[in-house]
Amino acid sequence: MRSLLLLWSLAPLAWQLYTSFVTPEALIQGAGMAAGSFWTLENYRQVWLADPPIWRYLLNSAVVGAATTALTLALAVPCAYGLQRQGGRLRWAVTLTLLATAIFPTVLLFLALLQLARSLGLANNLLALSLPYAALCLPLAVLLLRAAFADLPPELEDAARLEGLNLARRLQHVLLPLLAPSLASTAILVFLFSWNEYPIALTWISRPELQTLPPAIARIAGSSLFTVPYGAFAAATVLGSLPLLLIVLIFQRSIVSGLTQGAIKG
Amino acid sequence: MINAMPVPPSPSPGLRIEGLSRRLGERTLLADLNLEVGPGECLALLGPSGCGKTTTLRLLAGLDAASAGRILLDGDDISRLSAGDRRVAMVFQSYALYPHLSVADNLALGLRIRGMAAREREERIMAVLELLQLVELRLRRPAQLSGGQRQRVALARALLRQPRLVLLDEPMSNLDAQLREELRPELRRLLCGGSQPVVYVTHDQQEAMGMADRIAVLREGRLQQIGSARELYEKPANRFVAAFLGRPAINLLPAEGQRQLGLRPEHLVPVETGGLAARLQQREWWGHQQLLWLESARGDLRMLVAADQPLPETLEVSWRPEHELWFDSHSGERLAAS
Amino acid sequence: MKGFPMNTSLVNTLLMLPALLLLAIVFAWPLLDSAWLSTQASSVLTGLAPTANGGANWQRLLGDARFWQDAAGTLRFAVVSVGLELVLGLAMALVLHRPGRGRGWLRALALLPWALPSTVLALGWRWIYNDPYGPLNSLLKLFGAPAYGFLTTPATTWLFTVLADVWKTTPFVALLLLAGLQSIPAELEESLVLEGASPSQILRRLTLPLLRPWISLALMFRLAQALGVFELVQVLTRGGPAGSTESLALYAYLNAMRFLDFGYSATLVVATFLLLLLLTAMGWLLLRRRPLEISR
Repeated sequence: MRSLLLLWSLAPLAWQLYTSFVTPEALIQGAGMAAGSFWTLENYRQVWLADPPIWRYLLNSAVVGAATTALTLALAVPCAYGLQRQGGRLRWAVTLTLLATAIFPTVLLFLALLQLARSLGLANNLLALSLPYAALCLPLAVLLLRAAFADLPPELEDAARLEGLNLARRLQHVLLPLLAPSLASTAILVFLFSWNEYPIALTWISRPELQTLPPAIARIAGSSLFTVPYGAFAAATVLGSLPLLLIVLIFQRSIVSGLTQGAIKG
Repeated sequence: MINAMPVPPSPSPGLRIEGLSRRLGERTLLADLNLEVGPGECLALLGPSGCGKTTTLRLLAGLDAASAGRILLDGDDISRLSAGDRRVAMVFQSYALYPHLSVADNLALGLRIRGMAAREREERIMAVLELLQLVELRLRRPAQLSGGQRQRVALARALLRQPRLVLLDEPMSNLDAQLREELRPELRRLLCGGSQPVVYVTHDQQEAMGMADRIAVLREGRLQQIGSARELYEKPANRFVAAFLGRPAINLLPAEGQRQLGLRPEHLVPVETGGLAARLQQREWWGHQQLLWLESARGDLRMLVAADQPLPETLEVSWRPEHELWFDSHSGERLAAS
Repeated sequence: MKGFPMNTSLVNTLLMLPALLLLAIVFAWPLLDSAWLSTQASSVLTGLAPTANGGANWQRLLGDARFWQDAAGTLRFAVVSVGLELVLGLAMALVLHRPGRGRGWLRALALLPWALPSTVLALGWRWIYNDPYGPLNSLLKLFGAPAYGFLTTPATTWLFTVLADVWKTTPFVALLLLAGLQSIPAELEESLVLEGASPSQILRRLTLPLLRPWISLALMFRLAQALGVFELVQVLTRGGPAGSTESLALYAYLNAMRFLDFGYSATLVVATFLLLLLLTAMGWLLLRRRPLEISR
């Protein structure tokens, strides 16, 4: 069962990896070629030396991801705290709003958001992407963090209040240190989203050197209508996925537990 | 009771609670509580869960807002002060130690926030660590401590504040029975008899009797009776107090018109003749005593007798008239002895 | 101000306000704006300036065969994908839930397709489906079968977009259901085992009923996302062949970015949103039942 599952999940990815390391001729003719003309690093050289080079997109995506993560947490932490402490109708209304926005397919927003970006002069501004991204991540982030706040014993905060700590101090010294694991898993999910987002990045950013990875890779593949340079594209995919692969493998525990805990308590 | 005229607060020492209430929507959590606790006095708030004892404690601490009433501490009205400004210390049922900080840092956090100089801070923390024999444990995290040690850290944190009022919320309920008994004198030595009043919340009557100078019994947000353990036991204000205090619980015989008789199991004695005829149903042997479950013409009775008392299947029981507790069968109020 | 409890409800509201404001700007405003724009002519013909044209956009929509074809195709795609994802996701969740060595790694690796960008994965699938050099056609060749145009056969291409979508999002469904499985106390299953229940009986009588809330959650979430499918078809098939895989979102995108008809694009966005609302409301009404309380 387990190997079947791994085969299903990993085979298509393994094929990309393979594609990125072989010559175009090898792709077409398959096995039976001399090893010398079979394996190659040419695909990587090509995307690394392209104009703009792939690392530029990696950097862009990393910058947007970091800004989005920071902004999302800065907004989600107070919101989650307030929501957890709040009772009654307001809590119900906010939770329902968050749920509704969480399942909303974001592609329906791109048109109006594009107009908004143009009228505010935010088009082709890398950091401005983090505004819609943060909004799109907020529902999930708030719901996960609210569940985490709910898990903290309320007496801890009471004890801190008795010692004269105001809200900012309580968050800084008591609540956030205890919330560190949930903050980490929320941050990872936000970063993943931001790294992978396509429609908004595609429509907001038109200058090639400012593009994030998904539209850039789509552009590599779409540069020729008839023959997609699959080797170069696969190399770009591998390079673009490597950071995520590392994140998922390193933080697998906190991603899975963060998401499942949030779902259970939320 | 409460003077309608505005009276300048008398600089009377201790804690004084006037008409304290808390309502949440339709529910009344605490209704018009009035009481005083002298300096160094330990008052236990006793009652079943949901009786308002923890509510009272949280109002005193400033963690929740009162709907009405005043709290005076050494003559100052503290009811409008925030929790952090009241100089009230509280020991929580769960101890509420910060799990990510060492024992020393747990103690230091509040002092550091108030901007106390490092030297003075160290000195005060060391003093309190020594008092509670926690010096060796000062670098440990709460998770590395036993239940009793955690409780001592929570106490240390409370004492460190040099509080004007000490509040304890079921501080023993997370400890096993043996440790609880051992710690009681220690807790008394550390907390009571100082200058500050102590309010101690518990649902355990034995603990209340062991710790407190006086006990206030609460039920459904209302004060039932306040007095020494002995007063509460011998002269309960009503049926509820009589039933809540004393174990095994008092026998409440079926009402006779307006009146109902209560008899404590320890006050029943077997007699040769002239008593109430009863049949033995069951017995529990407790080592020094035995508890008998009897069936009689006046209902089921529990009787507590010496362990070596031989007992036949049928017997007669009696009691001394001064041990009779009569209650109004409707209101439950205790009636004057007849 | 120092003093007793500032109204806590007010404090809470203030704390939630910035996040709610951003949500309003990014979610509510675009929807209202699109609703307004759907009553305007705004295209190359009007120099992109919005001019009221009454219900012309909506009238056009009602008679637009391409819209109805896309709506039916999107619905078909969503229902089939989500159905398969639920079945496979449940199987995956059961495998991931079973204790064993390396379970953490297994979960991480199973999660990978969900964590990687859908655009990039869609391109990967385009290569896998390639005719005649992709690995799937190589496999067919191995068995002596002729090469198949996975992405060029109008009658079947949509099935292969479904496969790519199922592969990508099943891990997400599995993760949600895994959360559900973890919330079921082991004693419940153990007591059934003691009564001699077989694994399939346990699944039917205990696991599935208790998973209901999570299944509903996954269903609602995935249905909404699948009805808005965009990246996958835009990259994998560009809506082809012969428009057979064009989704509503892609049609709206093309109207705005290719045909520069913003008024009609907004109409399509609002129409898709209404369709979504209708379907989610229906799903919700069908699934609404008291959530099961698990007593511990």
